[in-house]
Amino acid sequence: MPPILRFIINRLLSIPVTLLIITATLYGFVMLTPPETRAMLYFPQTNRMLTEEQVKRLIENIIEQHHLRDPYPVQYVMWLSSLIKGDWGYSPTLKEDVLKGLVRRTPVTAELTIFSILLFIPFGLISGVIAGWKQNRIADHQFRLTAFTATSLPPFIFAIVFMAIFYVMLHWFPPERLSPLLSLDITAPEWHNFTGLLTIDGFLNGRPDISLDAARHLVLPVLTLCLVHWATLGRVTRAAMIEELQKEYIVAGKARGINNRRLVWRHAFRNALTPALASSGLSAASLFTGVFVVEVIFNFKGVSNMVLSTVYGPPDAQSILGFAIYSVIIVLVIMFILDIIQAVFDPRIREGIIS
Amino acid sequence: MMKGLHRFLSRGQNLFALAIVISYIFVAIAAPQLAPEENAKKLAARFELIPAARNTPQPPAQETPFGTIAITGITKQIDVYSNVIWGTRSALEFGLIVALSTALFGAIIGAASAYFGGIFNDIMMRITDAFLTFPIIVGVLFIQQLLSIILGPYFSMSALLSETPPPQPNLFIDLLSKINPLMLALILFSWMPYARVINAVVMRAKEMDYIKAARALGASHSRIILQHLLPNTISPAIVMAARDIGGVVILQATLTFIGLGGGSIWGAMLADGRRWIIGPGGNPLTYWWVFIPGTLALVLFGIGWNLLGDGLNEWLNPRTVNHLEM
Repeated sequence: MPPILRFIINRLLSIPVTLLIITATLYGFVMLTPPETRAMLYFPQTNRMLTEEQVKRLIENIIEQHHLRDPYPVQYVMWLSSLIKGDWGYSPTLKEDVLKGLVRRTPVTAELTIFSILLFIPFGLISGVIAGWKQNRIADHQFRLTAFTATSLPPFIFAIVFMAIFYVMLHWFPPERLSPLLSLDITAPEWHNFTGLLTIDGFLNGRPDISLDAARHLVLPVLTLCLVHWATLGRVTRAAMIEELQKEYIVAGKARGINNRRLVWRHAFRNALTPALASSGLSAASLFTGVFVVEVIFNFKGVSNMVLSTVYGPPDAQSILGFAIYSVIIVLVIMFILDIIQAVFDPRIREGIIS
Repeated sequence: MMKGLHRFLSRGQNLFALAIVISYIFVAIAAPQLAPEENAKKLAARFELIPAARNTPQPPAQETPFGTIAITGITKQIDVYSNVIWGTRSALEFGLIVALSTALFGAIIGAASAYFGGIFNDIMMRITDAFLTFPIIVGVLFIQQLLSIILGPYFSMSALLSETPPPQPNLFIDLLSKINPLMLALILFSWMPYARVINAVVMRAKEMDYIKAARALGASHSRIILQHLLPNTISPAIVMAARDIGGVVILQATLTFIGLGGGSIWGAMLADGRRWIIGPGGNPLTYWWVFIPGTLALVLFGIGWNLLGDGLNEWLNPRTVNHLEM
């Protein structure tokens, strides 16, 4: 088996392990609640008005059926198997199946996340490499100042400032996902949802104007989201570059007369890439938190807004639990993609020397 | 150590950071003198009387040096100055408690599992890695929901209004009801970086001769960990905690701002002032006092602790630790 395949399989196998650990812990917390509350996780979807007596009997039935008075391992396995079957519970607040609701709103969140990743990874790497290369020169100082500001300021402040300047004063980039007039078009029957990403679906439907409008609405949230991650990635890349550039192979390369640009980009950068992308992988979870905040502030109707709407109503543990598992899956997917990029660029991983 | 301290103090950046942090601590301690509560009450009473003052934010005046923010719906004004002052106290309290408890929690897990080593360490580190994939926002929502379900029968409106009196809370419930859910969530779900760093440092320190000597002398596990390993490995945790104090306060303000609670006074003030940020005619400077003092307080707080963390890092962890942290 080629090493890269082994690397990919290895990483794929760690995904279910992580999910098991997280779900087991979450259910451990859920065990702190009385069985009647836990029964709500399995409460069926119904349109009938039930009397209090009927609800009580129904809950008693569910407790019986799902062994909710049994010890933790039994209950956990029961819950896990229903999760795997795709039964994530019914949310009374949303009047929808939790899993269905999450999947339906995924494209909105995915669009934000994908564009941010596509923007901040190349820019973070490039600015980190340049800052590390030109250490203690003007470019480096400028980078450090900007990066420091971006990591010290709260993202919502950026969001406010951007909105005040680019929306209120200049009218360039409005909030929300699409202009009101065009949102009528995407609910019309002729509109086909190919990917759910408006920027792409617009072109596929022969409506480039919708794509452009969606892109215009994405500018501010994506920028807000990118700033802090760009800065973090840039700082790590810079540190890794400085370390690489002091190594002997660089000195040897210089002695052989390889030009600087080639040394930096072909030699040092490749070695600095691994720690840099590893740090991005670790911050994938904070990317998710960032998406949540940005989605709420810019009023994107994605998964975050859906979950936020269940917070204020009556207890709705199934939505939150579903959201928790969903978020971990998304983070794992992002980390997996970063691992693959890393393996593609780093021959040491590709050849199985380090894993 | 002293030489390091001298170098630490000779850098302008570090002095700047120290100045910021010390002034925040001073304001936090002197809050009752700087913004007495009786004043706030007097002001509130006065705003009730003046109808014109009810609708728009009022510019800075003698008694309200940073102006006031009008809250819509309930015709009330809040005094920006006293919110900035009292916000400092609550932010510092929150930051210190969260960062120190998280650091302690993570350090104990990391150190203990490294110390016992072997398969136990592998399992613990696997769990730590698993938790790194858990977004903190999800932890916050989860803990909030969980607490509201557990405490519901005791304290919710419907329980208090129902005919049968709510059950008497026991000590555990009573304690839970007093905890800020955000604080609990942050401690429970952000200890992982500490555990990783401390774990790596202890793994290396374990092989050092002085630890082997202590073990040969028959020192107990807890004694070796507490007396020998922790003091020698705690410095990376100190650096991370210093940065985290700023980080968690910013996160707290962010969550309060988007309406998820958390009890940040600054965040709540900025959220109250949100609709006034864009003044008449789209001019964001008409009511500048609505957002500038609060934002500055928050931003300087973040910058101060962040810079202090950078300075401490250079002082306490010459080289090595930087990559572990990644």
